[in-house]
Amino acid sequence: MKHPCSSVSELVEKYLDQEVTDQEKVLVETHLFDCSSCRDAMKSMEELSTVMKVPLYEIAREEDFDRVWLKVKREIRSEEKHSWWEVFRSWFGFATLHQKRVWIPTVAAALVLILVTVPLLLKKSPSLPVEFGVEYVESKTNNVMVYEVEESKVTVIWLFEGPEAEPTTS
Amino acid sequence: MAFRRSGGGTNNVMKRFASFSTFLLILIFLSASTVFAQVQTRVRVIQASNAGSTIDPSLRDVHDQLGSLFSFTSYRLLKDETVSLSPNRPVAIPTHPGTALEIELIRKQKDVAEFKVKIKREKAEILNTQVRLSPGRTVVIGGPKHGEGTIILAITARF
Repeated sequence: MKHPCSSVSELVEKYLDQEVTDQEKVLVETHLFDCSSCRDAMKSMEELSTVMKVPLYEIAREEDFDRVWLKVKREIRSEEKHSWWEVFRSWFGFATLHQKRVWIPTVAAALVLILVTVPLLLKKSPSLPVEFGVEYVESKTNNVMVYEVEESKVTVIWLFEGPEAEPTTS
Repeated sequence: MAFRRSGGGTNNVMKRFASFSTFLLILIFLSASTVFAQVQTRVRVIQASNAGSTIDPSLRDVHDQLGSLFSFTSYRLLKDETVSLSPNRPVAIPTHPGTALEIELIRKQKDVAEFKVKIKREKAEILNTQVRLSPGRTVVIGGPKHGEGTIILAITARF
């Protein structure tokens, strides 16, 4: 049975895009074998399709899809909500902490810090006299007297404000 | 859902871990050095007078220490404050109206700490001194008048 051109022409486009079923494929090919007008129509469509597809393929080939995909992934990730602990784990990559070489920079940093700080700590500053006492005392407004009470180990600095304010010493 | 790390690999982790560890070590070192250099300093503001015979129980030690020097009959505690002093960071303590004590730790060694002590009245400096204190020992600064009595400052270091 010969199918009418109108029913087959709907399938020709799908046939060109290889989207037909096996049964449709047989139908189209049988019809094209017998119908020269449909063959011509298909040839025209094929040429038109080629003209349209070639520049698209070239554009697609030039496009850096890896970069686009990275951007897409970043966007997806930014929309995901993570707990601070997940972010922390991710930042440090705890999964890699068992590897010895991960610790190398840390140990190196600690050593540098120790090498820098230990000499500073051990650097001898002029030692203070161990005994208790007054280094200096000055007053622009009052007379000052310093008492050292050895038995009670107290130093007294007394400001005299005037004759009437002087403490009564025993 | 697994949270995936963005690129970088082990080298990135190493850099991050090293910088964080260094930061942490520096922080620990700075905190430790600050804590070890601190000196707890007790400042007692006392009003001594010959009006009455009240001796504040918390001032028995001061009375015993000064009893041989002065004949005040009354010792009243106006203020008792303990401050943590760090080197070169002066702390001001108001003692009585118009007067303040400014105390600064100059340096600290194992058994002795050196302090700069200033007394200011209405922003004018009436005393400037530098004293050394060993743990538990006291320096007493007295003289300024207050009411019927005299102000005595007892400064004790603990470290």
